Amino acid sequence: MLSLRALPSLLPRRFTPGGILATVLVASVAAPATALAADDAASSIFKFSGFGTLGVVHADTDTADFTSSVLKASGAGATRRWSMDVDTRLGAQLDVAIAPQWSAVLQVVSEQGYNNSYRPDVEWANVKYQVTPDVSVRVGRVALPVFMAAEHRKVGYVYSMVRQPNEVAGGVPITSSDGIDLSWRWHTGALNHTTRLQYGRTNLSLDDQTRVRANGIVAVSHSIDVGAFSARASAIGADVTVNLAEPLFGALKQFGPAGVALADQYSVDHKRISLIALGMEYDPGDWFVTVEGGRQRSQSLLGTNIGLALSAGYRWRTFTPYIGYSDVRAQASTQSRGLPVAGLPPPLAYGAGLLNAGLNQLLMTLPEQSTVRLGTRWDFHENMAFKLQVDSVTPHRGSRGTLINTQPDFAFGKSILVTSMTLDFVF
Amino acid sequence: MRLFIQPVRLLLCVPGVVLALAALSGAVAAPDLVVIVSARSTAPALRADQVAAIFLGQSAQLPDGALVTPIDQPVGTMTRDEFYERVASKSPALLKAYWSKLLFTGRGQPPREVGGNAAVRKMVADTPGYIGYIDRSALDASVRPILVLH
Repeated sequence: MLSLRALPSLLPRRFTPGGILATVLVASVAAPATALAADDAASSIFKFSGFGTLGVVHADTDTADFTSSVLKASGAGATRRWSMDVDTRLGAQLDVAIAPQWSAVLQVVSEQGYNNSYRPDVEWANVKYQVTPDVSVRVGRVALPVFMAAEHRKVGYVYSMVRQPNEVAGGVPITSSDGIDLSWRWHTGALNHTTRLQYGRTNLSLDDQTRVRANGIVAVSHSIDVGAFSARASAIGADVTVNLAEPLFGALKQFGPAGVALADQYSVDHKRISLIALGMEYDPGDWFVTVEGGRQRSQSLLGTNIGLALSAGYRWRTFTPYIGYSDVRAQASTQSRGLPVAGLPPPLAYGAGLLNAGLNQLLMTLPEQSTVRLGTRWDFHENMAFKLQVDSVTPHRGSRGTLINTQPDFAFGKSILVTSMTLDFVF
Repeated sequence: MRLFIQPVRLLLCVPGVVLALAALSGAVAAPDLVVIVSARSTAPALRADQVAAIFLGQSAQLPDGALVTPIDQPVGTMTRDEFYERVASKSPALLKAYWSKLLFTGRGQPPREVGGNAAVRKMVADTPGYIGYIDRSALDASVRPILVLH
């Protein structure tokens, strides 16, 4: 788990609703343009569409924040008991059919980010060349298949639950790749296969000080669809650098070989991160069941862990009640003995003690957590769905789980009850 | 006054009840649908899952390798809702969710929609590479059924 919030007091927290405004402006400018074009053949060249979620979340704690992603500034709990920042977002997409085999897509999403602003981010921006009906090449920004629903995780209308569980691959700070993507669709008997290869890089600015850089991103995924059954396996590797807790690692290195070894072990500086995930879904229409597992490996603060998620639901008229369980286990210790303090002169021992405390504060962000959830989706209107969900989130073994903004009196191992209501829509 | 109005109200209700009953019986015995290609097409008969794959954008080819383009009926029509229920077990909301997933991940757009049985039949009849579906009662010699959905 990326421990971006290890030193929360150093980071500025500003709320700027300008982001949402900008997205709405883009939408209102683009919409009349397509409306004007609707009268002639141009209507099929440009297509404007969008999606969004209006959500409110309550968490029964005041010692940490529950939120939906590691790339968020705050959530429900410590910051405020009721938060709209966890799930609320607006997305706008422009599809351009350039020529029979050429098309382009631009998707912009506004939601609360790591810097606490709603500044819109470019989620997708690529040009696609359809080589044959079954082979396509995309150049530009393409989302990474870090888990089964990773590419459409922001479009709440698509799935039954309020949000995708962040136990599987929730700590991977890279979600997209700027580069090239090759997709090949093929068939064997009744099986529809899609094989994808991606290569690229990403450079993501989280706030004024924090930056995620990933080079040499390689992703391979294979999905199989046959009737109501679908499955996907994916593997991703990347060299990741996050300029995180650099003062801490710099100070550790002043303490000789032991300190240098600790800094090398935990810093996220050109560290290879790898991820494999396998997901399956069976959805014959009246009910569904999904199961997914993932393993993330890295020799750094991002940690090594195994995640699992299960869900099942039943469709009755316009209601889809469902249950779910998800779990993540760290494969490395969430504690470190740190620098050897014994034998150091008192002022140095004091400094080393502080650094050890700082290091352990970072390590408690390695996630160990399980969640049980219960909820229902209600398709009450065309293109709209209302969802109500209750999650019981339990961090284990000295970890804060996927919670953020933990306060000094945070109680380890205590379950937190999270209640969420969302309105998802597409247009 | 009251005594007079009540029977009138009752009378007014009768056509409503009859209509509701008619709608109910219609839902019980929905009309057969046929999946059609042009009479000039050489497309072989298809299974429901093969038709579903074509209309869900998972396959652009017939089993013999010929390219095929699906033509849809408009959103909100009974013919469309019945078709997707029978070939893919998808309600209108599930179908919308499915296409939203493909659209917002840049993987595809839903088929072109054409209004009504006659318009779909004409478009499919005129273009051998097209495939559509209509009520069985709208079938004529310009098109050839390759799957009947009871």
